Amino acid sequence: MNPKVKPLTKHQIVDLTVLVALASLVVWYFVNARSASTHILNLILILPFTVLTLFLCLIQFICQFIRPSVEAPAVESVKSVLPVISLFAVYALTLPWLGFDVGTCLFVGAFLWFHGERRWPWIVGYSLSFASVVSLFFIAMLPYPMPMLVFPS
Amino acid sequence: MIDWSAVQEGLSLLFSSPSYWLIIIPGILIGLLFGAVPGLQISMAMAIFLPVTLYMNFMQAMLFLTSIFTGGSFGGSIPAILMNIPGTSSSIATSFDGYPMSRKGQHNTALGLALGSSCIGVLIGYGILFLLIGPISKLVLKMGPSEMAAIILWGITLIGTLSSGSMVKGVISGLIGLLLGTIGYSEAGVTRGTLGSPYLLDGIPAIPAMIGMFAASELFRLVNTKYLVEDAALRKVSIKAILAGFQKTIRYPWGIIRGSLIGVFIGSVPGVGSSIANLISYMVAKKQDADPESFGQGNPAGVVASESANSTSEAGSMATLLALGIPGGGATAVMLAAFAMHNITGGPQFIREETDIVYAIIFANFGQAVLLIGLGLLFLPLLANVVKVPMNYLVPSVLSLSVFGSFGLTGNMSGPITVMVFALVGWVFKRFDYSVSAAVVGILLGGMAEDSLIYTYQISGGQWSYLFERPATIAILLLLIVSLCGSSLLAVVTRAHNLRPTRESFSGSQKGSNARTK
Repeated sequence: MNPKVKPLTKHQIVDLTVLVALASLVVWYFVNARSASTHILNLILILPFTVLTLFLCLIQFICQFIRPSVEAPAVESVKSVLPVISLFAVYALTLPWLGFDVGTCLFVGAFLWFHGERRWPWIVGYSLSFASVVSLFFIAMLPYPMPMLVFPS
Repeated sequence: MIDWSAVQEGLSLLFSSPSYWLIIIPGILIGLLFGAVPGLQISMAMAIFLPVTLYMNFMQAMLFLTSIFTGGSFGGSIPAILMNIPGTSSSIATSFDGYPMSRKGQHNTALGLALGSSCIGVLIGYGILFLLIGPISKLVLKMGPSEMAAIILWGITLIGTLSSGSMVKGVISGLIGLLLGTIGYSEAGVTRGTLGSPYLLDGIPAIPAMIGMFAASELFRLVNTKYLVEDAALRKVSIKAILAGFQKTIRYPWGIIRGSLIGVFIGSVPGVGSSIANLISYMVAKKQDADPESFGQGNPAGVVASESANSTSEAGSMATLLALGIPGGGATAVMLAAFAMHNITGGPQFIREETDIVYAIIFANFGQAVLLIGLGLLFLPLLANVVKVPMNYLVPSVLSLSVFGSFGLTGNMSGPITVMVFALVGWVFKRFDYSVSAAVVGILLGGMAEDSLIYTYQISGGQWSYLFERPATIAILLLLIVSLCGSSLLAVVTRAHNLRPTRESFSGSQKGSNARTK
């Protein structure tokens, strides 16, 4: 009797997609480096390591089909993490305009609100004081100017 | 081998003025602070305070800078243990077991262990330096680019094979890290993979990438937890428990000695230094342990292995700096600048003519290790309180600190953006069992690996026979092969060993199914 072939789970499909994405990244980088120069000094590390990485990716791809990985027990759900990643991305990308002081204050405040803190004095007080202390510390310590909106950079 | 009259002169010099000792205390505190704040680096602390050394004599300057180095080497382990953020690249392996210990409520013990291992490591490291500064400098002179390339490849292979559930995925992570580490303007004079961005001309900012992959990605995983340590009873910060952890260090004498030897040797290799010494020490400890599976789950031996190696690698890099005038990393590069500021040139001549100063520096570091115990025990209870902070406050605060720190490292927005991008990459890697540490070390050392290969090619003229003239390179490459095949062979042997009783106890028809279950 042939055992029933289980279809790949969503996690396993994404796992394979990640592998293919990594292999594609390696191929893209090799093509990019090769177009810059085909001189041996340019490709001395990139060529052999690209070949090796692709070979290992192929082995891993075959292994994952034959013996798919067991779904790892992740403590976090993608749905709960994606808003945090998005908020963090917005924070990092808007810093040149909002400045580290205001941007940090808004990021910390928004994060606290999204994660269940409903005491406004705590949200405002903590985000303001944290952003102020850290901004002033780094302004004092760093030898170059930081983008700031309120504090002098 | 030891010039006893110079030893005596060194000791007299060291005790000729209390200023030599008083200058060490602020140095250690600065190092602790910079090491403990994610994103701030020891080399940054030393660079910031370098101008202050203009007002000191050479000896004071050296003691001040080495005390920042000593404090920072330990300080980096604090966020590594409490927040899974290696404060410096030399604390990467500390987070592997230190952070799981924290999550189990053993943060006090882990901090005590790290402090104990660091202090004993500094003592052993400088002890070795005291005895062997001559032979070490001769050995380092023999290390060529081919050996460096081989060490880097060996290190990454070790990390890749041991730090991920899947060996293949671990090695893929390390190789991709190495390739990413070569992005930007190369030694060969071409620009690759920059996507047209001028920020990437110098390559991917390695430390912000490390912060993103280790720290930020871990924080994403913790957004739904209430506290770093879930059990309220385990959140206590106890000086007694820290002291107990400190005392526990002596239960790992072989771990400390092995870590110290690895630290001194790897630390003395210019450019490789502590960032890889702690990882190799950790991996060797894991391989030799009777229960390697417990590593990464909060095994104290992992913390000891990493911390003893990173603190002794300071002594190793000092050996290279003093004996050859070659800096082993960023921190010793700043020290080299201090040499220049005081019109002193490191190297064999310095060792020969200023032996008393060399010995005075070594003895001062013994004193620094003792002072670090006191200062560390004083400040650790304060810093360990981070486990009492609710995660909804801790996560945005540490993410923001990472962004500030990364800007501090790069001086432009490439730092924060790198943290953001690599936080996402790290989260994906962790979710699908790729080795984050192998990738990070690859990024850190990719450029150096490529440079070493280029120099090897230029020296050898492209002849493979050159390798046969470099027995050390061949030995390291053999170690690399053993590391790769050894894990697989060990797995096969272990599986066969585990199967034997099964075969003996079950009847023939059940054999196959049992073996598959195993």
